[in-house]
Amino acid sequence: MPKTILEIIDLKKHFAHRRGLFSFFKEQQQSIPAVDGASFYLKENETVGLVGESGCGKTTIGRTILRLEKPTSGKIIFDGKDITNIPANELRQLRGQMQMIFQDLDAALNPKMHIRDILSEAITVHHKISDAEVDKRIGDLLEQVSLKKSKLSSFPHELSGGEKRRVSVARVLSVGAKFIVADEPTSALDVSIQAQVVNLLRNLQRQLGLSYLFISHDLRVVELISHKVAVMYLGKIVEIGLSDRIANKASHPYTHILWSSLVEKQSKEIAQKAKGVQAGQWGVFDFERPTAGCRFAPRCPVYESTGKPTICTDPATEPQLKDIGGTHQVACHFPL
Amino acid sequence: MKHYSQISGEISEFSDLPFWKKADGVDLVYVGYGVLIVALVVVSYIFGSFNLLPRDPQDIDLQLMMAPPGTPGRLLGTDFMGRDMLSRLIVGIQAYFLPGLLAIFIALFFGTSLGVLAGYQGEKFNTGITYFTNLIDSFPRLVLILLVIAAFKPDIYYIMLVVGLTNVPVVASLIKGKIQFLKQKNFIEADIALGVPTRTIILKHILWHNCRSLLIIQATLGMAEAILMETSLSYLGFGVQEPTPSWGNMVQSGANYFMQGKFWPSTAPALAILFTILGFHLLGDGLNNILEGKRST
Amino acid sequence: MTTAPMLKIEDLRTYFYSRSKQAFVRSVDGVSLEIAKGETLGVVGESGSGKSITALSVLGLISTGPGVIGGKIGFKSDQTQKNLLQDLGDFVKLTTKNGKIMEVSKDVLGWERNAERIMSKVRGKEIAMTFQNPKSSLNPFTSVGKQITEAIRLHTSIKTEQEAKERALTWLGRVKIDSPRLRFDNYPYGLSGGMCQRVMIAMALASEPSLLIADEPTTGLDATIQSKIVDLLVELKSELGITTMLISHDISIISRLSDSVAVMYGGTVFESGPAKHILSTGFKSKHPYTSALLASIPSAQNIREKGYLQAIEGDVLDTINIPEGCRFYSRCNRVTGKTREKCARQEPDLHEIISGHKVRCWLYFD
Repeated sequence: MPKTILEIIDLKKHFAHRRGLFSFFKEQQQSIPAVDGASFYLKENETVGLVGESGCGKTTIGRTILRLEKPTSGKIIFDGKDITNIPANELRQLRGQMQMIFQDLDAALNPKMHIRDILSEAITVHHKISDAEVDKRIGDLLEQVSLKKSKLSSFPHELSGGEKRRVSVARVLSVGAKFIVADEPTSALDVSIQAQVVNLLRNLQRQLGLSYLFISHDLRVVELISHKVAVMYLGKIVEIGLSDRIANKASHPYTHILWSSLVEKQSKEIAQKAKGVQAGQWGVFDFERPTAGCRFAPRCPVYESTGKPTICTDPATEPQLKDIGGTHQVACHFPL
Repeated sequence: MKHYSQISGEISEFSDLPFWKKADGVDLVYVGYGVLIVALVVVSYIFGSFNLLPRDPQDIDLQLMMAPPGTPGRLLGTDFMGRDMLSRLIVGIQAYFLPGLLAIFIALFFGTSLGVLAGYQGEKFNTGITYFTNLIDSFPRLVLILLVIAAFKPDIYYIMLVVGLTNVPVVASLIKGKIQFLKQKNFIEADIALGVPTRTIILKHILWHNCRSLLIIQATLGMAEAILMETSLSYLGFGVQEPTPSWGNMVQSGANYFMQGKFWPSTAPALAILFTILGFHLLGDGLNNILEGKRST
Repeated sequence: MTTAPMLKIEDLRTYFYSRSKQAFVRSVDGVSLEIAKGETLGVVGESGSGKSITALSVLGLISTGPGVIGGKIGFKSDQTQKNLLQDLGDFVKLTTKNGKIMEVSKDVLGWERNAERIMSKVRGKEIAMTFQNPKSSLNPFTSVGKQITEAIRLHTSIKTEQEAKERALTWLGRVKIDSPRLRFDNYPYGLSGGMCQRVMIAMALASEPSLLIADEPTTGLDATIQSKIVDLLVELKSELGITTMLISHDISIISRLSDSVAVMYGGTVFESGPAKHILSTGFKSKHPYTSALLASIPSAQNIREKGYLQAIEGDVLDTINIPEGCRFYSRCNRVTGKTREKCARQEPDLHEIISGHKVRCWLYFD
């Protein structure tokens, strides 16, 4: 039975909403709840996909899990250990095991350093290794990510997008990470290169037993690579389940809308059939709109069609994640 | 009419041509000139400290007053008291070289420390340090220097201390700006995520790789400023006092003879000031363009 | 095509120059395209294929490097037919070595003056363009309403502010912006990406051009917004029947909107023809790049059928180092023993294999 490598319990991350010099005088210190009570778990050798529109908090969750942001409340349990509040030096030790692939292709690559230096630094950050050993490890890494040896003496700006992405994957592997948060790893790449990166990540998972939290807005890629998928909306996880079910038999109205917007792109005929579900205005976090009850209600077609029941907007009965069979959970009063 | 041509043969994998090919010709000239001036200054300083001078700078020779350059034994002529111009110019460097280095050191050291603190640590530090540096910035420098001179004594080292301190805000805000820029590019964060110790991040990744050119330029500008400050104050009579030569007081004392048509005693040190400051400025400018890879076309 | 096409690009070449490498960046290296009146041409390609640069070249918006150095752009609007690159040869002198252009001498100022004379009557009025990055393509200092009225007053016969405003409001409504009267005075920073894109479409269409060029209209937008923009474009297409050149790297958008498709790679067109032929998986005659590209997309079909993605080996062509022979040779998985020699040495022409369907590949002709 594979063990649980990561579990987050009711994780919250609120950002203080700065309103200038006189904000101290206002009673309400408004904060933006980027992540507002998220819970899920991730097993070894498993990929959990995290999807949602921009602004829903998926990147923030990934960063908070890695303690790049300080959690406002809740618990993060990594490999059985509560890391929510551990001190900096302990945290630094653990960094070797949990890593992040950043959305920005240039993120981890210092433009003034050769690729060789970037990789050897990553290798020696946590362990003292002899030079010969470092060279050998670099050779192994390059092979694992299929990068040519000639690229070692280049600078990052001389590399193509796909190559940069591979270097950042190699960097993450070189510290020996077991759990990787991949934040939009395929976004800025060409279509034919995206396929390469997806295949690479899958192969590495098989070879090295890695676990991924795969954050992306590309629904099909997430469907392909993940075992389980979690859907986020405005800071809350609204549905989580096996990727096949989420894609084809969604329970939450929002999930259904997300995937049907894809189907529309597929062909005109299917588009006619899916016309029934309408997506309203874009969901932006609005301070004026009270976050009472279900956050999705203003846009929810089921809310409309069932005559705007108060159970959806009453803060006391805000929908929580409920088991509906198998590993499928949904936070909705009227699941599809 | 614009003309473009491609080199024949293999286009190299490395786009990094050696820097003298990539740089603008103008920048190379600037740097060449600047390096020449710096070399002259340093060599002269060393000679001056060991008293390896062609002649004694205080040696008065009324026979050879205001001799033009090229007079046998007096390479750059003499001043109005027959003292050898070249030796006096060399000794004049003593007045600003070491103090200038002090000013540079103070500005860079404290400026970098404050800049790193402000940029790296985040909001609260940033606000506090910004207020502090704005405070220092709003002091009129010359007034501050005159105050120091009046309160203590016209010691060039005290003056350079003030110059250094008043430059701290500039350096701090430049470094801070650079760090904030790097933060935006997820740079620093990726390093933290990897587990790189903070000391390494600051010293290696930020300062060495990214702030090098910035600091070099501040150093060259700092020296140019020190020269200007010292010579101006000496000219006004507040810095180095006669008979110890300083380029500034040399210009001052030679000024009387200017009206009589005897230009050399004032002009020689003035030209020295001009060419030296120009050298430092051009060095800084040229190095900046080369290191940052900027081209005018 | 029996009638003359509305836009006919022939052998267009747009080069830039890299100082650090002292070599030409051959962004558009002999591109030929045609669009018939009322048709939507979808131009597909990955980065470096030259599709955006082609559009910018058509509108004369290239200002760096040597820029446009050769080719012909025939544009037919109403009765007149003109070449947008008229007299280009007078301002450009090329030197080739072994069939490759190695030196370019261009009278930049002279050509610019000439081009302005031709293009100033065409830009915005007869050919309109919408750009990628809607938020940064709009003027941040003027309200969006004013930007539209400015375009209307410049390019149509409507001259008064009042009438132009009325028109602008109609168009804002037509692109499905909620509360057009309110949004009229908004600035771009106050609008979401999707709304800015709609504003750009309104601005382009309000001047009633004959040809619309849409450069990546859905990139950078959320999935749900993307599908709404595509819906809008489909509606506008059936309402107005406007001729469109749609540029995108997203094949799903192209398939929903295009009548014909051109596939670009490394600065040239690999395949062009009816969308039905090129984008459906059933049709056999296709360029290896096109079929490989379609197989590497994570579509529902690919996932169901295979469960993994068929990636294309190697990296997208960098347009500085253009190889001898076919540009796709190093990545092609359909090279046969018979064609290997040719594929490696000689670049194929764009050849018509079936009526209306052209392919640049040695597998289909010799």
